[in-house]
Amino acid sequence: MKLNALMGATALALCTTTASAQELVVWHDLGDNGIAWFDKMSEVFQKTNPGVTVTSVSFPTDQWYGKSIAAINTNTAPDLIYNNYERVIRVVNQTGKIKDLTETFGAMDDVGFLTESDIGVATYNDEMIILPVQRVQMGFGIRDSWLDAVGEEFPETWEDTIRVAKKFVEEDPDGNGRADTYGLALQAANPRDLIHMLDLYTFGAGLRHTLIDPDGEITIDQPDHKAVLIEFLKTFTEYGLVSPDTITHSFPEMYQVIEGNRAGMFRVGDWNVKKWDTEESLNGDFRIGEWPAHINGTENAVVIGGMRGVAVPENAPNLDLAVEFAKFMLSKEAQAASLQNVGAAVRGDFEIEGLSERRLYFAQPKHTLNAYDFPESVHSFYPELEAEFHRELVEILVDPQDDWDAYVEELADRMREKRDALMQ
Amino acid sequence: MLAQFKLGKSTVFYLFAAPFALLTIVMGLWPIALSIQTSFTDSYTALSPDPVYVGLSNYIKIFNDPVFLKSAWLTLRYTLIAVLLNLTIALFYAMFLSSSVLSRGAWLFKLCCFLPVVTPDVAGFIVWKWMYSSDFGAINAMLNAIGLPDFGGVSSVQTATIAILIAEMWYHVGFYIVIFLANFAMLDKSLDEAAMMDNAGFWRKFYKVTLPQLRPAITINMIYALIQFLKTFTVVVVITKGGPGTTTNFISYYAYRQFDQAQYGTATAMATVLFAVIMVLASGLYWYSQRRDWR
Repeated sequence: MKLNALMGATALALCTTTASAQELVVWHDLGDNGIAWFDKMSEVFQKTNPGVTVTSVSFPTDQWYGKSIAAINTNTAPDLIYNNYERVIRVVNQTGKIKDLTETFGAMDDVGFLTESDIGVATYNDEMIILPVQRVQMGFGIRDSWLDAVGEEFPETWEDTIRVAKKFVEEDPDGNGRADTYGLALQAANPRDLIHMLDLYTFGAGLRHTLIDPDGEITIDQPDHKAVLIEFLKTFTEYGLVSPDTITHSFPEMYQVIEGNRAGMFRVGDWNVKKWDTEESLNGDFRIGEWPAHINGTENAVVIGGMRGVAVPENAPNLDLAVEFAKFMLSKEAQAASLQNVGAAVRGDFEIEGLSERRLYFAQPKHTLNAYDFPESVHSFYPELEAEFHRELVEILVDPQDDWDAYVEELADRMREKRDALMQ
Repeated sequence: MLAQFKLGKSTVFYLFAAPFALLTIVMGLWPIALSIQTSFTDSYTALSPDPVYVGLSNYIKIFNDPVFLKSAWLTLRYTLIAVLLNLTIALFYAMFLSSSVLSRGAWLFKLCCFLPVVTPDVAGFIVWKWMYSSDFGAINAMLNAIGLPDFGGVSSVQTATIAILIAEMWYHVGFYIVIFLANFAMLDKSLDEAAMMDNAGFWRKFYKVTLPQLRPAITINMIYALIQFLKTFTVVVVITKGGPGTTTNFISYYAYRQFDQAQYGTATAMATVLFAVIMVLASGLYWYSQRRDWR
């Protein structure tokens, strides 16, 4: 009898524990920094939600796609998925099972820090597929000591940039006695990498579309766009300002060039600064600013290259709790942890201590911001059109033209033909 | 009684073999079957529980894709050159290593040839990538030191294919040499002596006496090399990423890029075409080498 009572009590205790303890699982691709961020958020979330733990799992980006799509389609989804907006679109397209967060967001009070552009980016097919959590800002970085060595100021225009870059190539700015430095660090190995660089040139110059506008018009042969595209192509082919190996460089190689002190100007993402401030890397020897101005009268900018956000699968095991956690990710505590661990956030209305001047540049932006246009959210055929555009650019980088102007005109015509074919 | 014994013995054999046969089918054939099945589905529904079947449309799409056709041509051309080059070098190197002239130092050469085979390929190719670097690469440093111009390496359309061909040869040729060496060890020396007594010259002896006896090694090596080079992937991922332009955009890598873009239908269609080409060429080669009179 006593034994039965003991077993009953034990079973009851176990049941109670099981009932109150809940685990939310989040899949992302942010690596160790992301895991630390989710761990911190889990700690804070537990204070108002006792017994709830948040476990985050980081996958390489390409695996994140496949696993997320497969899991959601087979009803083995995690509670939340976290990634860039355009990647979540792909999951939406392949599963149709991402919860519309419009009502959830509408019922939230403390969201005044989000701009219309932020909310627009989070919306796809009239549904809010993510709650926007981190703006991805990308500025133009220059080695401070190199600027001093060649007697230049931070370049404002593209002409300034070319002049400074040439000095970086020719005047041994690192003083090691060898001709081993380049003006710019870029990448072109994968088509997506190449287009990413073009996006930075284009949006950094204050333009609004890289390839196509919301009305479906191809923009690359419009005068301002053409000017930027031609200078972009010449950077790789004619100017001699980048390493000759750049056409086979992807992200890791581009970072090797930057962190190996071989290039004076480069892209700085908000997530790069924490590492580049350390002694093991650039030791803070860089300055960040807006991308160079190409066009008179158009304001150059730091580029918002994406919006990372949290999405909730409709078949999440703990759907309501998952939505609660998604909302919590926009709280001050979660946002502060985001800034501290990942280097990005969407709100800055809290005390920020101990951040370097470079991290504050992104944390409390006072510069002009220009966001990607995310044409995939308007034109369903865009990924295929962009893939064709990529292929054309990758081919032309190894086949420099005498008449770039004519080339861009012809390219625009081919893009129009492709667009028309895809729209049928 | 004897029949019963045989049946019993066979039954036990089949019982023991069954788990492994099942594993082979499940682990070996099932993924291939699934991949082929996926190639007939719409990419956007490929991973869903109810994929939409689109017949041959993925195959029609890839055969209308100029990049795929160029990729197929590049793959075939690269394979042809790589197989011929690797096997020729391996054959003569093995002949050199099995020569009685080199009786003492042969082990050192054999070790040097075979070490790359057991080196992790990614690590080896990363080193090659560094050696080809136009910034700090050892190859250009050496060429410049002896007054020669720079080698374009993987940054030039003209030299990128040669560059990865060399890197792949470094990695694979040792394996082919070992196979040839095993065959050389089994050669009938009396045939050599007879040819010498008949005053046959080196090339005549090689072509009429040695080469026919190397048929097993040549067949194995050719089939293996054919499969290996048609599937060339790691060296491209590590060193060139299909570039410059699309110079080294071989089918395996192009299919991988499609997969990475979530184009599962077209990616698996490409993989299936490559699989079919490998099967046909490897079987044809095997059939031809068995049928041909090598004497």
